[in-house]
Amino acid sequence: MPASASTNRPEDLIGRLKSSEGEAKLKALREVKNQIIGNRTKKLSYIKLGAVPTIVGILAGASESDVSLIVQSTAAIGSFACGVDAGVKAVLDSGAFPHLFRSLSNPDAKVVDAAARSLRMIYQSKLAPKYDFLQEKNMEFLLSLLNSENENVTGLGASIITHSCETTVEQKALCDAGVLHRIIYLLEGSLNQRDASLDSLATIVKNNSDVISKFVGLKGGTALSTITELIKDRNPRTRLLACICLIVTGNAFPCYLQDIGTKTKLILILVELLEEPDQVGDEAPFALANLIADKEDLQKLAFEVDAVDKLCNFLHKGPVQVKRLRGIFLALGELCSKMEICRSRFLSLQVLNVVTDALNHDSLDVRIAACICMRNVSRSVKNLSAGRFMNEMIVTSLVQLLNDPSTLVQVAALGAVSNIVVDFTSRKSIFIQCGGVKELIRLSKSMDTALRLNSLWALRNLMFLANKTCREDIFLELTSSMLASLIHDPEPLIQEQSLALARNFVDGCVDCIEHVLADNGVIINAVGKQLWSSFKSEVCIQGMYMLINVATGSEFHKEAVMHQVLAPEASDCSQSFVTKFLQNNDSRLRTAAVWCVVNLTYPDSPGGSNRIERLQNAGVISQIKKMVNDPCLDAKFRCSKPWKAYSEKGFACSSVASLSKGRTCLSAKWVVVI
Amino acid sequence: MPVRVVESSAHSQVSGANQGHALPPAFTLLSVGQAFAGTQNVSSIQKDEAWRVNVRIQGCDLDHGYLCGTMEALNVPLADTPVVTFWEGEIVDTKNYTFFTGKWEATPEDDVRHWSKFPSFSPLLSQVEIDGGKSLDLSNYPYIFMRWKEQYFVNVGIDCGLTIAGFYYVCFSCSDGSINGFYYDPNSSPFQKLELKSTNEGRSGFSFSSYQLQ
Repeated sequence: MPASASTNRPEDLIGRLKSSEGEAKLKALREVKNQIIGNRTKKLSYIKLGAVPTIVGILAGASESDVSLIVQSTAAIGSFACGVDAGVKAVLDSGAFPHLFRSLSNPDAKVVDAAARSLRMIYQSKLAPKYDFLQEKNMEFLLSLLNSENENVTGLGASIITHSCETTVEQKALCDAGVLHRIIYLLEGSLNQRDASLDSLATIVKNNSDVISKFVGLKGGTALSTITELIKDRNPRTRLLACICLIVTGNAFPCYLQDIGTKTKLILILVELLEEPDQVGDEAPFALANLIADKEDLQKLAFEVDAVDKLCNFLHKGPVQVKRLRGIFLALGELCSKMEICRSRFLSLQVLNVVTDALNHDSLDVRIAACICMRNVSRSVKNLSAGRFMNEMIVTSLVQLLNDPSTLVQVAALGAVSNIVVDFTSRKSIFIQCGGVKELIRLSKSMDTALRLNSLWALRNLMFLANKTCREDIFLELTSSMLASLIHDPEPLIQEQSLALARNFVDGCVDCIEHVLADNGVIINAVGKQLWSSFKSEVCIQGMYMLINVATGSEFHKEAVMHQVLAPEASDCSQSFVTKFLQNNDSRLRTAAVWCVVNLTYPDSPGGSNRIERLQNAGVISQIKKMVNDPCLDAKFRCSKPWKAYSEKGFACSSVASLSKGRTCLSAKWVVVI
Repeated sequence: MPVRVVESSAHSQVSGANQGHALPPAFTLLSVGQAFAGTQNVSSIQKDEAWRVNVRIQGCDLDHGYLCGTMEALNVPLADTPVVTFWEGEIVDTKNYTFFTGKWEATPEDDVRHWSKFPSFSPLLSQVEIDGGKSLDLSNYPYIFMRWKEQYFVNVGIDCGLTIAGFYYVCFSCSDGSINGFYYDPNSSPFQKLELKSTNEGRSGFSFSSYQLQ
């Protein structure tokens, strides 16, 4: 009837909440509470009308004995905070927190129960304030909650831990205070207590090996078996939480997760939990990703139980909720991170388009997860060689992401781009036509180190075996001065990628070599300077190969390299960097140094003998002489090469007799013919 | 990073037994981007014939005993263009793979018969006959033995009249970078010899490029 309907309108109810008559107020409170339970729209509507401060006011003003009023107002406050962040904010802004905590000390059990329930709702939100465990009084209070007989109160204690424990110091403080003992005990309680305890347990032990080692020793060493039993529990949330606890433990101490049966069970349960419609299904793929991350044996197990198929089938079923979609992409990404057989299966299941579409998803987290998945799948050289990833749809989406407002998305996209541009077909031009090079070069000038590093990484891979036009397009866009300055970047990882980019640019292309010698040799000088000064093997290796590649060119090119190798003005140290590298512990660097000498003294190069003499004077040759028994076969075999070639070409012939008889003998003595 | 394709083979995959074995060291001449040129002898009783062949390494993952690349056959009769195939290689490192193939219609006897064609294999023969060589440590051996299996045609259709049903027994010489191989396919002429040399593609020295997957 219209008359009665109007009495329950929000505006009317709010009016009655302010009534001075206790019974009317109580009735209105009940009505509001009943209307908003499970109804987000109603909650938002009441919040907008300012109902929350009014209700908090009722709670604040109620006397300790006013049980019904306290219980109803507390329950309504909890309901506003349940699952709606705007509700949590309104509750906190209204100052409800201290009143709710005060109610936990109320002599009436119903009040305590209602307050504990409401506080748990609030602690489920990220907006809830952090609880400071490091204050002694707070820790005592927390223990009193966990020691309570009331299920909601112990649950509140566990929720506070799950919400607030973030640092290793806090984890240790909780552990030292004996919280773990109590939590393990609560695992034997009701379903709610068990789940809340498992949740808090995972939080306390996460990434903290000290705490984990204490945890596994609890209950006479049976704590872990208790958790292992719970992965088979009837309740899906219990299964998930028990899995998470085991995963966290196994990640810190692999010895506690060695049983193949348990590992397989974990994978099967987590894949099966994907079917759960609620939060459990949303969280399951994250747990799976965490379980198999960087572990090839577990990835193999997951493949054998059809995890790739099951995850992909989920993507085929239709729109997937944002969090779950992100989790599935991350789990698939991990599955495809190491094993070609998983990538191959993934690609055969026709879900690459789903991942490509998700590159344009509204959610930043989904875009990042899709990039990670794409990056790992594109580690397949077999499919890169077939040009599988170099198509306009994928490339256009990734290039767009290079302009994403989030740096995290840009970096994730660069990871995928770095792999896809390796492409062995002649389709690198697709990337250039989509504006990819311009974007990469723009990002290589970024102030952000990760962006600079990853954009250069992508450019280096794009340059790999690219045709001359493609190489020159990149170089001209980048400019020699920019490349020289990147070679001198303060970050060694960026120096390495810049040098690798220069190395790939000059590989097998005389015109490209000319480019790096132009502009007064700004690039080759930058390379030489790094080689004289850097202590990082990876940097020096790339620099050496850049010189090696330049030394495959003309006499002029070889002399340009000689100038760097012997330039005394470049360093106070009189020993050439080549001599230094020939003695380096890193066999890759020794091998690179030998290759450099091989190319400088290559047969048929007119100035070869002269260069040998200069290298001899610089102490390079005598160092190579010592390497005939180098433990690295690659270096050892290459050592014989220049001298073998030289003796074949008549090292002792009259035209070069002046180069000394001694050296002829020298070469004859240590040429090793395998 | 690439990984080997796992096949249901009892012979070729040594699981865990030799985890202490060192993997073969990286060789610059067998690294990504490197090129080889030579011939494959495809002579039959009817006529002598050899195809010019170019090979380029595209991927290398020593941890998984994996190598891959393309093979280009240049003067193939009845083909308008050079025929390019993509192949994947198993490196006999006795950790991931032994000398026994265990698939592709190759019996241990076929394996020994083909490996024995390489002079560098003779010191290993007796042990290989016992256990496929899984107790051998080849990490410092100056030769690298491999099987190369073509996976697909890159630039022609499968109806080009050529077959990639067989595979190659391959031996890489670490000292001079040469590659010798024998094609094995029960339905093709036996012991078709592949001879390749590391090439610098006309340059005055050896050039090296590289990529790094993320």
